[in-house]
Amino acid sequence: MSAALLLLRKDLRVLLRSPLLLGALVAYPVVIAVLVGLVAGYASSKPRVAFVDEDNLPPVVSVGGHRFHWQTVVDEVAKQVTLVRLSQPEAQRQLSTGKVVAVITVPPGFLGDLQTTVVSPKLLLQTGSGGLAPRVTEQVQSLVYQLNQKLQAGYIEANLEFVQLLLKGGKGHFLGRNFDVLGLERTQAELAQMPSNERVAAIEHFVQQAREGLAQTGSALRATANPIELTQASAHGRTWILSAQVQSYGIAVTVTFLALLLAAGATAAERDEGTIGRLRRGLVGLGELVWSKVALAGVVGLVLGLAIAVVFGIVVEAGGITGGEPWSRLPLLLAGVVLAAGAVGAAGALLGALAREARTASLVAVLVVLPVVFLGLVPRGAFAAAYWISLFLPFAHAVKLFGAALYDSSPWGTVGIETLWLLGIGAAFWVLARLGVRTLTA
Amino acid sequence: MTTPLLRALRVARRYGDVEALAPTDLELVPGETVALVGPNGAGKSTLLSILAGAIDPTEGSVESHARVGWVPQRPAHYARLSARENLELFARLEGVREPARAAAQLLDRFALPTGARPSGELSVGNRQRLNVALALLGEPRVLLLDEPTAALDPGQRRRVWEVADALRAEGGAVCFATQNLEEIEHASRTIVLQDGRVVSLTVEEVFG
Repeated sequence: MSAALLLLRKDLRVLLRSPLLLGALVAYPVVIAVLVGLVAGYASSKPRVAFVDEDNLPPVVSVGGHRFHWQTVVDEVAKQVTLVRLSQPEAQRQLSTGKVVAVITVPPGFLGDLQTTVVSPKLLLQTGSGGLAPRVTEQVQSLVYQLNQKLQAGYIEANLEFVQLLLKGGKGHFLGRNFDVLGLERTQAELAQMPSNERVAAIEHFVQQAREGLAQTGSALRATANPIELTQASAHGRTWILSAQVQSYGIAVTVTFLALLLAAGATAAERDEGTIGRLRRGLVGLGELVWSKVALAGVVGLVLGLAIAVVFGIVVEAGGITGGEPWSRLPLLLAGVVLAAGAVGAAGALLGALAREARTASLVAVLVVLPVVFLGLVPRGAFAAAYWISLFLPFAHAVKLFGAALYDSSPWGTVGIETLWLLGIGAAFWVLARLGVRTLTA
Repeated sequence: MTTPLLRALRVARRYGDVEALAPTDLELVPGETVALVGPNGAGKSTLLSILAGAIDPTEGSVESHARVGWVPQRPAHYARLSARENLELFARLEGVREPARAAAQLLDRFALPTGARPSGELSVGNRQRLNVALALLGEPRVLLLDEPTAALDPGQRRRVWEVADALRAEGGAVCFATQNLEEIEHASRTIVLQDGRVVSLTVEEVFG
């Protein structure tokens, strides 16, 4: 048996003899994975937004002959935010303390402007300076868009009434003034009674064209208001907690945490116990020493990755979840887990060599692993620097690899690319760790 | 002329600006026991670690013509493994043909506990005896001992010196570091170190 395998067997034996440590090592990343899930869940939860009505909107608003129950409309469309009615001072106070993330104000005169149907009434939006501000702005924009969709029918009807007035003629009311309109039909009738000549014929022709054109106004207005209409089907997919992404993150977080911590601790422990000196006397090469820690990370990652995948699979199968668990992909997933754990293990061996002492190595590993995980969770568009840093760390590649291995219909492209990334990152960390462990005997 | 079993040629060790060991020559020939004597920080452990191959010299080289056993100053074994498991593991790493048998022999020879108790939970004396036993795996002809009897009772000390004397009698060589002047009587040659250098002072002069 090679020296690296003998050390691996020793490390596994030592690990199994520390049930408390083993339990903590397994439980901790699971807790972290759940917390990461909660953070991700919060990202899709409804933020609290203050609603200040300075125009005293009545329960029922009439626009263009259409009657709206205002609160019902708001409740229906405001599915992305929790609107709470507050006075302006209270809203400002809660915005300053962060209790609400934004304030929507209905200014005085809003309803009057709305009912004229000829000017756009304005809503005022104030947001806090927190990280949720851009999201709230998007959601309020969505709210206004949806309100506009509800209101546009009333606006269209109001506009069509004016069109009908132009066509048919009759009494009208606009901006508080009453008036009588002749209308195109009556104009045409009047023209028919006038002596026929070239000028009258030209006016008759124009009136006829205008009537035909205005007759199409209703459908044209509706088409202009809704160039594309979106119909939403009810969702039948998985719940969030069983999604492919969460499964990938759960395995990646657990494997990253364990591999880094174990490899760092096991490497530094060789110095703590004084055995590095014995091993260096030609018994174990420095490369073999690093390999043994990489293998330890790989073996433990494999066992835990398998356990998590099986637990997920059982829950998915027992719940009859759409799509089921892709059991046939398990070998591909586990191969990816071993590779990712090995790459992280090489980084852990480097940490252990630099820390030189097991307790310090463990602490540093814990301190390092959380930023590594969160860097991998930051979307590319949110913070480009985080994306570029995570590109050279194993976590983000592990997540992509696991996701593709489990659920992509054609996984080989992604699996191939991420495998190359992990091999490259792992090799780089291996070389650095190989250099680092030399210092352990100093 | 007798071929030395172990030869150090101008070996030196620096830690940054600190010179732990100035360039030093040393030969160990069959049948001799060399004592390295000096106060704390004299460079004794550094020289023995370099001779053992546990650390690299920053200058010079070491030539070895025989298997070398090393007893570091601080017991060096895996605390969560039992004495037997430690012996078997290092026997395998040393390439010993029958590791289980070799481990059993050393357990018996040094009266070490044979149970599954982790070696980290053994008494200081037992841990030091395990430290010595580990050095004897593979039947070395050169034994490097770094203050091997510091934590042992008189009976255990006697047993360690019996092992060293037997090795020398069989044509091997022993080099040990000590601050216990009584142990110098086991040496056929004494080297005095001070501030990382071999000095031509007597033991009495060094220790005042």
